[in-house]
Amino acid sequence: MRFSIYRFNPERDARPYMQEYELALDPHDRMLLDALVRLRAQDDSLAFRKSCREGVCGSDAMNINGRNGLACITRLADLKEPVTLRPLPGFPVVRDLVVDMSTFFAHYHAIRPYLVNDEPPPARERLQSPQERAALDGLYECILCGACTGFCPSWWWNPERFLGPAALLQAMRFIADSRDRATAERLEFLDDAYRLYRCRTIMNCTEVCPKHLSPSRAIEHIRRRIVSEGL
Amino acid sequence: MPQTARRARFLDLSRIRFPVGAICSIGHRVSGVALAVALPLLIALFARSLAGAEGYAEAARWLAPLPVRAALVLVVWAFAHHLLAGVRHLLMDVGAGSRLGAARASAWTANLAGLALAVLAAGALL
Repeated sequence: MRFSIYRFNPERDARPYMQEYELALDPHDRMLLDALVRLRAQDDSLAFRKSCREGVCGSDAMNINGRNGLACITRLADLKEPVTLRPLPGFPVVRDLVVDMSTFFAHYHAIRPYLVNDEPPPARERLQSPQERAALDGLYECILCGACTGFCPSWWWNPERFLGPAALLQAMRFIADSRDRATAERLEFLDDAYRLYRCRTIMNCTEVCPKHLSPSRAIEHIRRRIVSEGL
Repeated sequence: MPQTARRARFLDLSRIRFPVGAICSIGHRVSGVALAVALPLLIALFARSLAGAEGYAEAARWLAPLPVRAALVLVVWAFAHHLLAGVRHLLMDVGAGSRLGAARASAWTANLAGLALAVLAAGALL
């Protein structure tokens, strides 16, 4: 199988370049990550992130034949050759397919991704009704891989000020949580021309989410909450 | 750790495979810019055409060359696409058609209907 992979080592290369690889696949190689691991055995200078290899950790998000996805759950049989791999668009490249996610996680931290509730805790736990728990479905499953944010044109042009789809989906996850008591502060923080309203409903985020979540719908729900709560 | 200034970013838009919604959206931007440029000229031309028989004849003369008529076809596309994609965005802003399947269908509709109207305009003007 033929591969064309983005290479850049800032300590050695003046600019990025594409390197071609030819790989004899093993019959057991099913996913793109299997091939990448095999390629690294050929060329140990090739850098990429991986961990769980089953679409849970979100480490191996990259641009695969022009679209963002996770290498570990992308079937080799579905890919056109040469398989072109590049880092997540818009992110600063640390090396090869490894990107710097500092800004991404700074935005995540900015939405306070934890329950805020100063009421005295009950003896065992803060209970939810089945309906209250169901309100979190489609929000809590995000694995923070960055595939959505790295495919969002609004974020490409304003990466410092627009929070991006992943952080906004996470924001909605805590707004929707019946145990949280900081909804008003959360909405007030988000009600900003850049943090929230740079989203133009292009929906690239929803197109590429490897967990089939809909950050664009979460953003829509935040906007509605802001309107309905009269902020 | 390498210096931030030396870090590359991959953002070559020609290498990114855009979904139909993204093409509809960038078309909305491009058509908006085209309309912002074209509308003042068209309004000036319209005003001239209303200034008596002589003004009308002069406006008709300005519109006669093929490149000008081709540009008018482009303006028709810009108007049609901007209108359709704009209505699509407004509906999605209130939650109508904002699920992925419906959003894809409406993006295809706006893209193709804009082009179809431009083809009709080309038939009439060229």
